[in-house]
Amino acid sequence: MCRIISTLGELHQSLNLINHSSRQIKMFRQNKKRISSRRHFSDDNSGSQFIMGQPGSEAERRLYDKIYESKLSFYELPPQGEITLDQFEIWAIDRLKVLLELESCVARNKTAKETETIVKPLLQKLLPFNTDSLEDKKKDYYSHFILRLCFCRTKDLRDKFLRAETLLFKLRFNMLTSQYQAKFVQSLDLPMLQFISEDEKMELSQELYQTISPQLQFQLNLTDEMQRRQYFQNERFIKLPFESVIDLVGSRQVFLKKGFAYLPQFQQLNLLSREFAQRLEEELLRTFQHLPHLNEDDRLIPILTHLSTGYTISDYQQYSHEFGSDAQEGEINSQNVYSKEISSNFPLCAKNLFSGLQQHHHLRYNGRQQLSFFLKGIGLNADDALKFWSEAFTARGGNMTQDKFNKEYRYNFRHNYGLEGSRISYRVWDCRTILSKPRPARGEFHGCPYRDWNVDKLTSELSSMKLTSTQVSSVLESCQKNEFTIACTKVFESTHGQTGMEVDDQTHIAHPNLYFERSRQWQKKHSNETE
Amino acid sequence: MTEEENGSPNEAAKPQPPSSSDMQYYYQFIYPFKQIFNWLNHSPKPGKDMINRELAMAFRSGAYKRYNSYRSVQEFKSQVVKANPDRFEIGAIYNKPPQERDSLLKSEMIPLEKELVFDIDMDDYDTFRTCCSGAQVCGKCWKFISLAMTIMNTALIEDFGFENFLWVFSGRRGAHCWVSDKRARALNNLQRSNIIDYMNVVKDRTANKRLALLRPYHPHIARSLEQLKPHFTAIILEEQDPWRDDAHAMQTLLPGLHDRNLIEALSRYWKAHPGRSSKEKWSDIDAIAAKELKISRKQEFINRLRECKEDLVISTLYPKLDVEVTKQTHHLLKAPFCIHPGTGNVCVPIDENFVPSKAPRLIDLQSEMELRNHDISKTSLQPFLDAFQRQINKLVKEELSNVKRDREEDDGQIVDF
Repeated sequence: MCRIISTLGELHQSLNLINHSSRQIKMFRQNKKRISSRRHFSDDNSGSQFIMGQPGSEAERRLYDKIYESKLSFYELPPQGEITLDQFEIWAIDRLKVLLELESCVARNKTAKETETIVKPLLQKLLPFNTDSLEDKKKDYYSHFILRLCFCRTKDLRDKFLRAETLLFKLRFNMLTSQYQAKFVQSLDLPMLQFISEDEKMELSQELYQTISPQLQFQLNLTDEMQRRQYFQNERFIKLPFESVIDLVGSRQVFLKKGFAYLPQFQQLNLLSREFAQRLEEELLRTFQHLPHLNEDDRLIPILTHLSTGYTISDYQQYSHEFGSDAQEGEINSQNVYSKEISSNFPLCAKNLFSGLQQHHHLRYNGRQQLSFFLKGIGLNADDALKFWSEAFTARGGNMTQDKFNKEYRYNFRHNYGLEGSRISYRVWDCRTILSKPRPARGEFHGCPYRDWNVDKLTSELSSMKLTSTQVSSVLESCQKNEFTIACTKVFESTHGQTGMEVDDQTHIAHPNLYFERSRQWQKKHSNETE
Repeated sequence: MTEEENGSPNEAAKPQPPSSSDMQYYYQFIYPFKQIFNWLNHSPKPGKDMINRELAMAFRSGAYKRYNSYRSVQEFKSQVVKANPDRFEIGAIYNKPPQERDSLLKSEMIPLEKELVFDIDMDDYDTFRTCCSGAQVCGKCWKFISLAMTIMNTALIEDFGFENFLWVFSGRRGAHCWVSDKRARALNNLQRSNIIDYMNVVKDRTANKRLALLRPYHPHIARSLEQLKPHFTAIILEEQDPWRDDAHAMQTLLPGLHDRNLIEALSRYWKAHPGRSSKEKWSDIDAIAAKELKISRKQEFINRLRECKEDLVISTLYPKLDVEVTKQTHHLLKAPFCIHPGTGNVCVPIDENFVPSKAPRLIDLQSEMELRNHDISKTSLQPFLDAFQRQINKLVKEELSNVKRDREEDDGQIVDF
């Protein structure tokens, strides 16, 4: 990578181009020939909505002071200064590291508080805010926009980026003093922040208190009833259509009455982050639509591509092709998938599905999907999958005919492999997906045993997997804290000769197929050693 | 309610699967196409709510044809009569007529609106249902569904402010709810799944885990509990009596309690005295707790026990809703007045007083038609058609006044300028 300092004229134009309306694009095109004189933008638009100025100039300083007046930004206008290629890359990578850590906290089901503790040092080091340094402000601003370029290209990338950035926004908001919080809220000028009158609050006080009391206890740590009452006395409520705070409706964190939600002020961040996410989502789409116009040479594209693949490294799907080359073609087929050699590598969720399948010679829809994708992920090809399922469903003891199977289920399994209907080759389910599905009812086997099984059943299963009682209680403890993927990782480590290790980003398992792959690798290595 | 009205399981479940010529006759002479059209169209004049609406047909052969759409009542009727499906289902309103789908890019077809729908199925009550099993249903277990309707009605009106909704018998052992308010139709997927989460208090239906809801209850749950409590003794403890079976009580009643010693004491007691009724077992909980246990912090223990019992009332009786049906705008759901292919029942609009044995059956309608000179208004379907028409009138009127209000607001703005 060439490390020369570049004025990056084209980059600035590109950034503008991508983030601005077609009017400006047209303007850009007309002036294409004169592009080398990037002053075109600076001159023609001075005093307009662009962010500009010579690096380090007084104008630039003033500009960023203004943007970060209340410490946080909604990143409304794209930057248009000059940065070096080095800065371009390093800034982006640093922000990415922070976002990755956030993602990983989410995957490990960390609470907001824990996430803050984990990410804060990283944030301080890589992406400090709340400072007066111009460099830091610029870094934050530019890195956000560079990553927009990286992650606008597919829906998956956009969603991931959106989630992580929104989380970062929330985290930072919570780190502000209430004075700056108020200042920031004011600067946004949102129309919907209407507080209810004291009379209305009195009238609904019982319902309102009932609604927020658990949150006061668990989110704000007001363990004492008196404290909570006190807090409630002073709290103000915002009344707005329930659609505006829909995220809080599902978890019943707001009181609803006749289509209105009553939002306590301490929850207003939800409103802000929703607004933030909504705007960013629109902007990302717009960036995506303008991406083809990015008249870029080979300096930036490789960086952008490199960054966006790096981002998904924690995602099993993205490097599954590596496994493909690792596992020989056809290594797993409809027969040996039952073998001890293969099945001993299954995570508990897959084992559970297998035993359900063998018991009932059938699985209900969600179970079929979960197991079918898992098997697809471990390398069972479409033909073998069909063979596997038809044999399992029509096996003796069940009462399904081959005809019925072909009529009612064949399509389903072919569909999963992208051979029917819209011909999408569906992605293999990760733990997040599995945990987001409806929980198993009686006679269903999908889901996550660490969430769905009761303590007794889980304990006896874990003991049969030869976990010591200390290990079992450590797993149960994670289940208690809703850290199901941690629980699973602990089980992996206990059964694969790794003990006493802290579950961190490197070892954390948030994908059933990752469990399988690691277990299989371990198994192969182990058998080589013993040979 | 007398025993007769309750109906024995056998009688209610006597299946009358219609033949394809029965279905032909029904679509030709009885099915209320015009009403369904107006109900989905929210206006008597064909508009985009119906023209761009997906309807899907399911056939006897197992074939399923999606993305049909119709521009008029006449086309709607003639196409359904011609295709003669077993049943047909209603989907979303798209940005373009779904029948043009083949000539469009798939990404161009976007589901915009649909009624907010809920689906309650008796299956999900099986853990506590003893009077019937599987596809059977009787007046006793239908009380689960009636009670679910009551709870849902209150929440839809009081919490969400919806006014126009319709319950429809699913034809065998469940009910569907269609919320037609403009605001409900416009909900996106995220909003729909949050509403179903709000409603679905009992997520884990396996019932071998303690519900452990946060305290104090959210006002919706607190209110629902008050609505359910009066029925718990009659429905669960007396009629269904699910815990007379000792093994079942150990699996589904004991895990709901919070105290290990209490659970052990009860399980010892029930092993020594097998076959006690649910009612006896329920009162055993308090009795054993008072007698056998040395409890240090008494008041706290009693409070927690009361909370466990409240959670148990919720977990046995609170509505159990299918998540997938509600979650997505483009999900399809069987149209009202279809014939259930298994039972021959008409899927009629219902209220809390309905029992499945009251549902008209196609076979009866056919003979009534013959007897009464082919006059539908003299058949047993008419009261259901009347109820449906009242709902449509209310909906259309509401819709018109909305349009008017919007227009006036627009005009107002223009004057302002």
